[in-house]
Amino acid sequence: MRAFWEAGKTWTLPVAGVCLVLGALLGIQVHTQRLRGATKVGRQSSALVGMLTNSQAQLEAQAKEIERLRAQVGKYENEAMSDKGVTQRVYQELQTSRVALGLLQVKGPGVELELGDSTIMRRNGSEMGSPEIYLIHDYDLIMLANELWTAGAEAVSLNDQRLVAGSAIRCSGPLIQVNNTTIPSPFVFRAIGDKENLVSALKIPEGTLDRLRWAKFQVKLTPKDELLVPAIAIAPRFKYAKPVTEETP
Amino acid sequence: MIFLPIVALVLGFLLVYRFSIPSAWADYAAIAILAGFDALIGAVRARMEGQFDEAVFLSGFFVNMGLAMLLSYIGDKLGVDLYLAVVVALGIRIFTNLGRIRGLFVRARLAAHRARHASPSH
Repeated sequence: MRAFWEAGKTWTLPVAGVCLVLGALLGIQVHTQRLRGATKVGRQSSALVGMLTNSQAQLEAQAKEIERLRAQVGKYENEAMSDKGVTQRVYQELQTSRVALGLLQVKGPGVELELGDSTIMRRNGSEMGSPEIYLIHDYDLIMLANELWTAGAEAVSLNDQRLVAGSAIRCSGPLIQVNNTTIPSPFVFRAIGDKENLVSALKIPEGTLDRLRWAKFQVKLTPKDELLVPAIAIAPRFKYAKPVTEETP
Repeated sequence: MIFLPIVALVLGFLLVYRFSIPSAWADYAAIAILAGFDALIGAVRARMEGQFDEAVFLSGFFVNMGLAMLLSYIGDKLGVDLYLAVVVALGIRIFTNLGRIRGLFVRARLAAHRARHASPSH
């Protein structure tokens, strides 16, 4: 046996050269992994991280575009407002349509309804039965939204997502999607309308809220003199539906 | 000299530590590092067995590194985790070679020990 650390003509130099390359590779790799945040980000999840970063950048770009366009619209309106009379009336009508479409933030009296997951699970410490029992579902929220509209709510938001004509509430795993945005529990409805009407509509015996309370969900219903309902983030676009115009005089 | 390779390793590390590569390449770099270590440990073993050859070592180092990366790249393109095959194969080889090195080392020490105690001065 030869001791490998003994110098040799054809040994030391090649090995040293290879070690230099290997050390460089190691250095660049360790540094890259450190920049990546955690060494736990492995092969499989790195693809997901890439996708997430991508879509977040897209989302930011879109939000900026919305802001730019809204500012532009505001500028045009201000210009149009400068000559009074007819344009003033048109503007008023436009504002009403915007409230209906959910394009404007609105305020007024109404109710705030907060819903937390059932305490059945928490009290027992461990998961008991299926999540069907202690999670709030998309259909619960749909029923409640329906209840609010029926009671004459003029503007409704769910976790700061304005509910408009095209808003869909649907299940996506353990979370809920509204307006294509994922929202977690607890769920907060804010509805502007007649306070008494809204409260009594929600409190109806055997109604959705009654059922949720019975299943130990944390329900908090508070009438408010003034609350804010935010505007919808992305205005609906009409690609297929075209207005049928009647002959206007 | 054992110091020159170690100095080279540390120097290489420190020289590039400020740079980084795209995330997508990092997985291939990891595979390349594994192949590089395999070649290095293989060289130590060959040296101890008196079979070290410069050309075999250098070609093995670079070609194996390229092949390992190529295999995992093809695996990624095909949707098969072929890099796992590379990691397992190289990992087993590294462990086997380390075991051989340890064996050779311990045997040599034992032989030296016995030679000393069996000397006629006692």
